[in-house]
Amino acid sequence: MNKRTHLSNLIARPEFGPLILLVLVIVVFGTLNPNFLSPLNISNTLTFTVELGLIALAMTMLMTSGEFDLSVGSVFGFTPVLMWTMVNSAGLPLELGFIIAMVAAMGIGLFSGLFVTKLKIPSFLVTLGMLLVVRGVALVVTDGFPQRTWDSQDHWLSNLLVGDFRLGGFRIYASLFWFVGIALLMHYVLTKTKAGNWIQAAGGNPDAARARGVLVDRTKVWLFILSSSMAALAGVISSIRTSAANPNSGSGYELEVIAMVVIGGTVLTGGRGSIIGTVLGVLILRVMRNGIVLVGVPGLAYNIFIGAIILGMMALHSSLERRHVERGR
Amino acid sequence: MLKGAVDMPDLIRMENIIKNYGPVQALSGVDLSVGEKEIVGLLGDNGAGKSTLIKVLSGAVPISSGKIFVRGQEVTIKSTTDAIGHGIETIYQDSALVTQLSIARNLFLGREPYKGPAFLGRLDEEMMNAVASDLLRKVGISKNIPPTTPIGALSGGERQAVAIARAMHFDSDLIILDEPTNNLGVAETQGVLNFIRGARESGHSCIFIAHNIHHVFQVVDRIIVMRRGRVVADDIRPGNSTVEQVERVITGMDEHVPV
Ligand SMILES: Nc1ncnc2c1ncn2[C@@H]1O[C@H](COP(=O)(O)OP(=O)(O)O)[C@@H](O)[C@H]1O
Ligand SMILES: [Mg+2]
Repeated sequence: MNKRTHLSNLIARPEFGPLILLVLVIVVFGTLNPNFLSPLNISNTLTFTVELGLIALAMTMLMTSGEFDLSVGSVFGFTPVLMWTMVNSAGLPLELGFIIAMVAAMGIGLFSGLFVTKLKIPSFLVTLGMLLVVRGVALVVTDGFPQRTWDSQDHWLSNLLVGDFRLGGFRIYASLFWFVGIALLMHYVLTKTKAGNWIQAAGGNPDAARARGVLVDRTKVWLFILSSSMAALAGVISSIRTSAANPNSGSGYELEVIAMVVIGGTVLTGGRGSIIGTVLGVLILRVMRNGIVLVGVPGLAYNIFIGAIILGMMALHSSLERRHVERGR
Repeated sequence: MLKGAVDMPDLIRMENIIKNYGPVQALSGVDLSVGEKEIVGLLGDNGAGKSTLIKVLSGAVPISSGKIFVRGQEVTIKSTTDAIGHGIETIYQDSALVTQLSIARNLFLGREPYKGPAFLGRLDEEMMNAVASDLLRKVGISKNIPPTTPIGALSGGERQAVAIARAMHFDSDLIILDEPTNNLGVAETQGVLNFIRGARESGHSCIFIAHNIHHVFQVVDRIIVMRRGRVVADDIRPGNSTVEQVERVITGMDEHVPV
């Protein structure tokens, strides 16, 4: 292959548009406000970005299989509340509280997955119901008040999940390594393994996949469990970092996460997904939010930009898709 | 030669198959058999019951009553997976491929080969692509189509070819094609007819349904004619009869092809 086909292959990739957009956004904000590229600002932006990013990675896998999960924001809020309630009221050690809360989150994913696959109810309805139930439970358990969180800074589990250190002017949290590691792992799984093949087939043509012996339902159930687990892990990480467990936290994250995933080129209807695209989508939305505030645009206008980006990216992806198919014929 | 051999049962035998869709009886007691390495043409007017018959064989619809034997063993076929398990593979017009996945990945879907330790789950893409290229050449669509091309970028005929290649590679004993040449260009149609000939040479049996009797005459060993849910002729040999004679049987003007 010569250089030109390499270049045109790169341009035809669904990740190319988001990559250009990310570079553009960084250049524009960096020019408008020099503080944008300061180590302090980059550290602050990255901290929460990787927490949402964990959810987006799992959502990418789930959406590639043709489903999505609206309950991730609720699980993000519920899991740390459950963990801290057990630690505070029942006096459980943090490790045990963490494990029980994670298992509970996996149970939520399992339940959604079984509902969707066995009762054949669309994931929109199942996970919308789950969103309300889980949020409701978090509110009832806590009476709507934030949970007391003792300072867990020196606990080995907190260090493992969100320990931080300084590197030059940067403050780096362990969660960044979790995000990078899990992104690499999921990219490998989705593109190189049999599991990834099954995930794409389950989303692309479930009947054809089933006929070849692909366990479509089981694949989807596992991905619901994965999505719930990642939302729970992100919630716990966020809660330990901020020393707060608020039953209301995470509301609305589901839509922001889905927006990140589709901006990266993963298709809402399934069959095609990209972890690289999602990483770009996550960065684009978080950098936008940070930059808009920094350059002095009223924060309330943020949604206008996000909405416009989603629409623009969708138009780009669909025109690339059409060109791809036409070229093939 | 087909029915006489006692120690060599037919590959597929269907006995007294009845299929009701509510009040409509689509199949009214069909008996049919297909021998090993035999290419059978199934003809009949619209509504004769051809598609229903092969849906029964491929597990797409359940039978109301009747028996199905594979190599003399009675089997129940409740799903496409059952049918594939018994070596029966059906290629539909809109073939059962995942358009987003590559040719090679579709060929090996559900039977993925690993490279390295199994727990890593890593696909052996090198091997998949090599086998796919080889198969594509065999079915005659190798020209500049790499095995990594997504199915969505292929034409209808090329998709059929991939589906047929898959059935051949995984040793389906019986490959069923329901009107595979509809909506295909002249060259693509010739391609499909060639694959059917190739299927016999590599030891497969085939049921071929088509509207164009000339196409059927070009490739089959034997023609079965259905009318209103029944088999009305099952031993027409293209070598011994003409297209016109078969047309008269299909429309019911003649009961049999004159011998
Ligand atoms: N799903 C169905 N529900 C009700 N009737 C059906 C259905 N499928 C086929 N039929 C009826 O069964 C008969 C045979 O149809 P079909 O097997 O499609 O014939 P062919 O393929 O030979 O044209 C027709 O009378 C048709 O209307
Ligand atoms: Mg038909």
